[in-house]
Amino acid sequence: MLNQWILIGTLAVATYLSRIVGIAFMAHRNMNPTLRLYFNYVPIAIITALLVKQVFIPTGGRLMLSSPVLISCFVAAISISLTKRFLPSVVLGVIIGLVCRHLIF
Amino acid sequence: MLHQKKSTVKTACVEAFPLAIAIAAYGMSYGVLAMQVNFSLLTTVAMSVFVFSGSAQLVTVAMLAGGAGLTSVLLTVILLNLRNLLYGAALAEGIEPAKKWTRLLAFGVTDEPFVLASARFKKVGPDPTYFAVVAAIFYIAWIFASFFGALIGNQLDPQKWGLDLAFPVTFAALLVPGLKGKPVIGTALTAVILALCLEGFKPGNELTIILTGLLAPLVGLFIHRRTSHA
Repeated sequence: MLNQWILIGTLAVATYLSRIVGIAFMAHRNMNPTLRLYFNYVPIAIITALLVKQVFIPTGGRLMLSSPVLISCFVAAISISLTKRFLPSVVLGVIIGLVCRHLIF
Repeated sequence: MLHQKKSTVKTACVEAFPLAIAIAAYGMSYGVLAMQVNFSLLTTVAMSVFVFSGSAQLVTVAMLAGGAGLTSVLLTVILLNLRNLLYGAALAEGIEPAKKWTRLLAFGVTDEPFVLASARFKKVGPDPTYFAVVAAIFYIAWIFASFFGALIGNQLDPQKWGLDLAFPVTFAALLVPGLKGKPVIGTALTAVILALCLEGFKPGNELTIILTGLLAPLVGLFIHRRTSHA
């Protein structure tokens, strides 16, 4: 429990600093356009890496593909591409993944 | 003046509402997942109150679920938060009229308020009231959703109800609309390859997210340079 509070406190400080530093110190400076582009791509890379870690699960020292997770992600991806609606796409992805898990895999 | 403020508040509420629903769905996912990594109801909600960062919080619980340590989580969150520097720099002029309240408003610098406020500032100029209302709506939605997600998560078997699927599905739904242009797609594909290599080398690798987050954007930069020089 103490570790959780330390984690929360540390994350709160780190996150707030990243917000206030941008406003207080970077507002009147010209940032290198290359660095700006780099920062734009960082969230894409991190979210993708997280997805890979969720789809390929370490089991007994080996990586195993989780088909229900993969299918649910595909369904959500196709749904949001077609409908542009976040919430229904998430719900649909979860339902299809659940159905796959219980009926197919 | 008062009429103008009322109009600003109304506009902010109308424009923030659809996103607030999406944020609530995202917050529910966080709440459920946090309970799965043994957070209590109090610490789950406390993280939302004090951190208020969807990506940072979801990454934290996902990494903890994978057995990551505090240092690894912190480094990843710092990397993830780097974009806040850009958001802050871009929004600074628009919220500057708030003067001493600017430091409080800084707490609301996240993805969604950035998107809405930057469009608003472009249209009408600096408008800290708009930013404050939008950020407050998202903050409240996020905290309540985390609370209800934690309540539900504590009482349900996540596997049985497919709640463990919420995290990858939420990120897929967030990732896909942004996959436009060769540099972004190149970054994502490189991230897939890098992450797979790192996980293949050591399943459950703690450095996968950090290294992928640092290296894959370089490929995006490279593609951007090639396409803009072509």
